Amino acid sequence: MIYKVKRFILIFTLAPITLFSQSLLDKLNKIETDSSKNVMSTFKGTRISIGHSLETRKKNTLELSFMSRYWNVEQETSNSFAADRMCARFGADYGISDNLTLGLGIGTPNGIVDAYLKQRLVHQKTDNSGLPFGVSVMQSATYRTRSIVGIEQRDNFYDKLAFTTQLLIARKFTRNFSFQISPTFIHRTSSNFSEDNHNHFAVGFSPRYKLNNHVSIVSEYYYVANPLTSVKTYGAFALGVNWEVSDLLLQFTMTNNMIFNEEGFITQTVRNFNTRDGNFFFGFNAIYHIQF
Amino acid sequence: MKKILLISLFIWVKGFSQNTEFIERQGMVTFFSYTAVENIKAKNTQTLSLFNPKTNEIAVQILMRAFVFEKSLMHEHFNESYIESDLYPKATFEGVIEDFNPDSITQTKIIKGDFTLKNITKPVEIKATITKDKASYNIDGNLDVFIDDYSIEVPALLSPNISKKIEVKFSFKYVLYDI
Repeated sequence: MIYKVKRFILIFTLAPITLFSQSLLDKLNKIETDSSKNVMSTFKGTRISIGHSLETRKKNTLELSFMSRYWNVEQETSNSFAADRMCARFGADYGISDNLTLGLGIGTPNGIVDAYLKQRLVHQKTDNSGLPFGVSVMQSATYRTRSIVGIEQRDNFYDKLAFTTQLLIARKFTRNFSFQISPTFIHRTSSNFSEDNHNHFAVGFSPRYKLNNHVSIVSEYYYVANPLTSVKTYGAFALGVNWEVSDLLLQFTMTNNMIFNEEGFITQTVRNFNTRDGNFFFGFNAIYHIQF
Repeated sequence: MKKILLISLFIWVKGFSQNTEFIERQGMVTFFSYTAVENIKAKNTQTLSLFNPKTNEIAVQILMRAFVFEKSLMHEHFNESYIESDLYPKATFEGVIEDFNPDSITQTKIIKGDFTLKNITKPVEIKATITKDKASYNIDGNLDVFIDDYSIEVPALLSPNISKKIEVKFSFKYVLYDI
């Protein structure tokens, strides 16, 4: 009993001494600080290469984007300089709040005017509290002034619309590797052929690997569960590089379509991905960031 | 037995009476990078610091994520590409104020210690002004950090945008630390 008391006294006595013999910095490190932060930069831009990433822009920032695709036509007689054809889209993406981004764009090949809203719903946390992934929802609407594949009716304004809803679910597994899964629902207001469905379900798979602090390689593939039946289509594929230079983000892409809008490239990609003329599209996006 | 108890109580009380530490929980640290191309400013108001006027020791912990920039993109690049705050979330300083006079109201002294950034520790000397109030101490000073010392890599293309020498200023107000 006495022994136990003595031992208690000894511990009791030495406790404050040992407590204060540690360095000031060790003591500082023990003070609780809020260590739960949102995981940053799962992807660099609002687009991975051709499709949307879950990233939104911060409040009061505007991004002006120039997207382009270049390709050769199949005829062997073509002798244009560098590329036979090109198309482009000009866009603006504005951060209404840190979690809500509004985007507008206009571009060729078929005079698509598009608008989208993207809301960040869930942030992945640095200390792994909460959900192990981030989630955004993206809703876009497009108006096609001209036809590409000719699958929609073109009688009135309403016929030329299409809507895409995407759930963008991504996890930054390591500091270099991120992966996104994007369940997608596409509604086209009209079909030229009765066998084509107005509604399409698709899912996108998009990995990213960061090579260094400024360069990453990305890829995207979209699988369509119920593709068009009037025309043979393929899943949209892209392989690209993102290069960040201060206020400028450059995205280089090799892909199998020339369309910049989700409803377009997911459902209406009529080329398989290979390097043959007509199938190979080189893409280049330049995105300039402005803070107000 | 009583004697032991008495002695132990004495040591115990003495142990606790050593607690003469002062704490700052919302210290301000700012840094500036001036170049012809671009000026970069950032401010952190969540710096944690302990100061012991008995031993003249000072310890500082700076959370890198807590730096606020004028441009949100700069914040992202700072954390992602330069400081890599996911790997190195904190910068720390541990040092001693040389020739500190606990009774003086205002004094300018050198703080000698080690500054750690991105897991690289370098000895630094900081000129600081220490002001004593009734129940608090103010310590203000500045320090030049050379990015090459701490393996902060700037791509050649962007080297005109970011100064080699970053001017860091700090302002801490310490109050007695109640455990």
